[in-house]
Amino acid sequence: MRKRLLFMLLIGAMILGNIITAAGQTTMPKMSFRERTLPNGLHVLSVVDKASPSVAINVWYHVGSKDDPDRRSGFAHLFEHIMFKSTKNMKAEMMDRLTEDVGGQNNAFTADDVTVYWEVVPSNYLETLLWAESDRLAGLTVDEENFHSERAVVEEEYRQSILAPPYGKFFYVLQQKSFTAHPYKRPTIGSIEDLEAATLENVQKFHATYYRPDNATLVVVGDFEPKQLDAWVDKYFGAIPKPALSLPRVQTTEPSRTGEKRFTEYGSNVPLPGVGITYLVPSEKSDDAPALTMLDILLSQGRSSRLYQSLVYQQQVAQSTNANADLREDLGLFELTAIVAAGKKPEDAEAALRAEIKKLQDAPVAAAELEKAKNQIITSQLRQRETNNGKAQSLGDAAVLLGDPNRVNTDLARLQAVTAADVQRVAKKYFSDENRYVFYYLPESLKPAAGSQNPPPVDRADAKGGFAR
Amino acid sequence: MKTKAFLNSMLVALAVVISVVCVRAQTPQATPPPPSAPRSVEVPKPVEKTLANGLRVIVVERSQVPLATAQLLIKSGGEVDPANLPGVTDMTASLLTRGTKTRSATQIAEAIEALGGFINSGGGWDSSSVSTSVMSSRISPAMNILSDVVRNPAFTQEEIDRLRRQYLNNLKVALGQPGSIARFVAARVVYRDAPYGHPLSGTPESLPLIKRDDIVRLHDMFYRPDNAILVMGGDLTPVSAFALAEKYLGDWAKPATELPKGTITRPATESGNRRIVVIDMPDAGQAAVIAARTGINRGSPDYFRGIVSNAVLTGYSGRLNWEIRVKRGLSYGAGSVLDTRRWAGSFLASSQTKNESGAEVAALTLAEISKLGSGDVADTELTPRKASLIGNFARGLETTGGLVTQVSALALYGLPLDDLNRFVGSVQAIKPGDVKSFAATSLNADSTSVIVVGDARKFLPDLKKQFPQVEVIPVAELDLNSATLRRVTSKN
Repeated sequence: MRKRLLFMLLIGAMILGNIITAAGQTTMPKMSFRERTLPNGLHVLSVVDKASPSVAINVWYHVGSKDDPDRRSGFAHLFEHIMFKSTKNMKAEMMDRLTEDVGGQNNAFTADDVTVYWEVVPSNYLETLLWAESDRLAGLTVDEENFHSERAVVEEEYRQSILAPPYGKFFYVLQQKSFTAHPYKRPTIGSIEDLEAATLENVQKFHATYYRPDNATLVVVGDFEPKQLDAWVDKYFGAIPKPALSLPRVQTTEPSRTGEKRFTEYGSNVPLPGVGITYLVPSEKSDDAPALTMLDILLSQGRSSRLYQSLVYQQQVAQSTNANADLREDLGLFELTAIVAAGKKPEDAEAALRAEIKKLQDAPVAAAELEKAKNQIITSQLRQRETNNGKAQSLGDAAVLLGDPNRVNTDLARLQAVTAADVQRVAKKYFSDENRYVFYYLPESLKPAAGSQNPPPVDRADAKGGFAR
Repeated sequence: MKTKAFLNSMLVALAVVISVVCVRAQTPQATPPPPSAPRSVEVPKPVEKTLANGLRVIVVERSQVPLATAQLLIKSGGEVDPANLPGVTDMTASLLTRGTKTRSATQIAEAIEALGGFINSGGGWDSSSVSTSVMSSRISPAMNILSDVVRNPAFTQEEIDRLRRQYLNNLKVALGQPGSIARFVAARVVYRDAPYGHPLSGTPESLPLIKRDDIVRLHDMFYRPDNAILVMGGDLTPVSAFALAEKYLGDWAKPATELPKGTITRPATESGNRRIVVIDMPDAGQAAVIAARTGINRGSPDYFRGIVSNAVLTGYSGRLNWEIRVKRGLSYGAGSVLDTRRWAGSFLASSQTKNESGAEVAALTLAEISKLGSGDVADTELTPRKASLIGNFARGLETTGGLVTQVSALALYGLPLDDLNRFVGSVQAIKPGDVKSFAATSLNADSTSVIVVGDARKFLPDLKKQFPQVEVIPVAELDLNSATLRRVTSKN
């Protein structure tokens, strides 16, 4: 595989007529993983890497904030916090005793489609952590007191991420209003009202519904013996029954947009105005996903990127700017945002963002610029794979969200195969007038006076990257 | 060239910890299975040489991933900012990558990003730095760019004005957040008008005063090979790295003049009278609470007593987070930092909470600092906190960038590079009595200041009961240019 990848990179360089032969000198080391599925449905992936005496353990549950129960926005994330409270054999916070106290670490994050729990520990503690993860998959015994104190923590997390930072509400509204039907429109962090309404009964039901071996993927990367790992996995996870009930899945589809919509939100603490544009784009499994990722890099990675050069450097209409191909399981969102520079107008920033979109539609990207984006992708993937936990997350992502763990080794070739014509075609296809929503975020002081209707209170956060424990 | 001592001793040390956790083994299912025998590892060891022009070059090889990082440190940072020009050192460093005599800002960005990498520059408190990270096959062209930006910056007026506007915009955003306001205020409270007291990237008033001449003079004075350290790490051999250093920086001429000495005013080492400061920000979505005081310098003999004491307070299961988040649900996270520098750095314990609980969190924070100096830490608590500190240190070395950062810090403060391998032993040697005495003398809660930034209506009455001397400054009147913190307004 190492050789094959090198070959593809060289072919790519030749097709583009690119002179950067250095591309051939760096190959992406193949991730050589083992895969098995227990009779109860637990999917197990593992990679041996003995470079350091440590091991990363991930448990990916295929449930995220899109699965929040009705009128319980934020519940999947609240539930993730509760998973660190008591289980049959562990009292609250024992997971920290087994990780932090022996020099390891743990955390978890909730995104729209998945909830992921992870630990990094000295490798001689692997069996201990497999025991602990199996115990919380088997069931929770959390009490009212722990439930209430942890819910208060999540409410502070809401305040810290949405209310305290000047643009928390802006990025939240952008997510919330970009979808009309699909549950992606609901907050990952939720609202204080919905969090307050959550009960212990909701916790038990959510666990029974989604926390089951056939909805989980265990990923182990680091220093271990494969046969020993298999034996431990059988011992600790094998006896957990697979429920007879079928797994509920979101069936709602998001309708296509049929025309531009414009939203203006006001905040009490807005140092500089914000401007955002979103387009609906397909699922991360789509064949257009690699070109959308390439558009994200071309527009926003580094100071030579198109948005930085145009908005921040040349026109100086933005304090900062970003593009994000926020690709998810069911469908995605392509977001362009700018925080408007002092003395400039939101309209100027919007025009500059749209001018960059139009340039991508009107002319193919130059070969050298495309090659630059591809080099940036290789470097960032190498960086991701410097640690065992980084490797485990790449593998889990491929298996759970892309539906095939082999994608951890084949995706780079898909990205390298993107052509200038692909980029232009995809920019034309999705960045259309009908598919555009535009958001302005302005200080309260600019709100039109009496007569105009107040927007409803806002309660959602930027879902990118998810919320951690 | 390599040593096993480091992680080996770390794992042996950790192996004793589990006895705290696994009391009374019953059935294999009811209690956690015990750990197996720990395994040792080899850790790369830095090697160094000094070039003829005085440039110290350090190389730390690690070849698992084909990445390489190079960092050039200038041993002068924001501490040398003239009192009336906060931000000039950081602006000078940031401007390096905004144009050289032969490359424009855009050409620099395009060149390094075409290699798939990045180049960043900026000022710290005690150093200024330029770092680049690329696939290891491209380290030579990346070093070429790094050398050019350090030696030949153009400092054009156009780029100075552009960067100044960016800094002013960034400050506007930072001054909209209770957390960043609290950190700015804490520095003024701790250091008053001495160096380290100003915002590193300047103030809304100081940035417009910075002239091209100030920048050029600062660059001439401090950017010289005998005031610099180059650290290279990752997938490269010492032989090839030394050759690159010689090729791109070997002819960097050392000025005939001596390095300026004694121009630096030593920052305050005594807090003086503690202050209780409230910045009233009526629209704040949360209150930011900081307890702040002077700490210790990096070379202090108290360094390990200090970082172990701090580890008892900070981290997920540290006392601050335990009391404030886990037990009471008052915050998403509470912790502390013992920021050691060339001169005495600071100790900051911080968290954010709903405005209504600002006073309660301030009291809890001070109580935990105070408790550390008045009672013994049990071994059953200290042992896991030390393990956590050691684990964080070891993970910090896992990436090429992390490795270079750690080695750079040792080199900057003139510490032996093999301190990397002594870290574990030094931490393990700290006893409960060391923590108690350090906390009692160096973290005394009674002389620790408190800063709360938020909607004062909701916490001021409770805070006044604890601290009648509280100073309240409306955010609109906040002045970061002096220790008074209050804008002088003409009374008409």
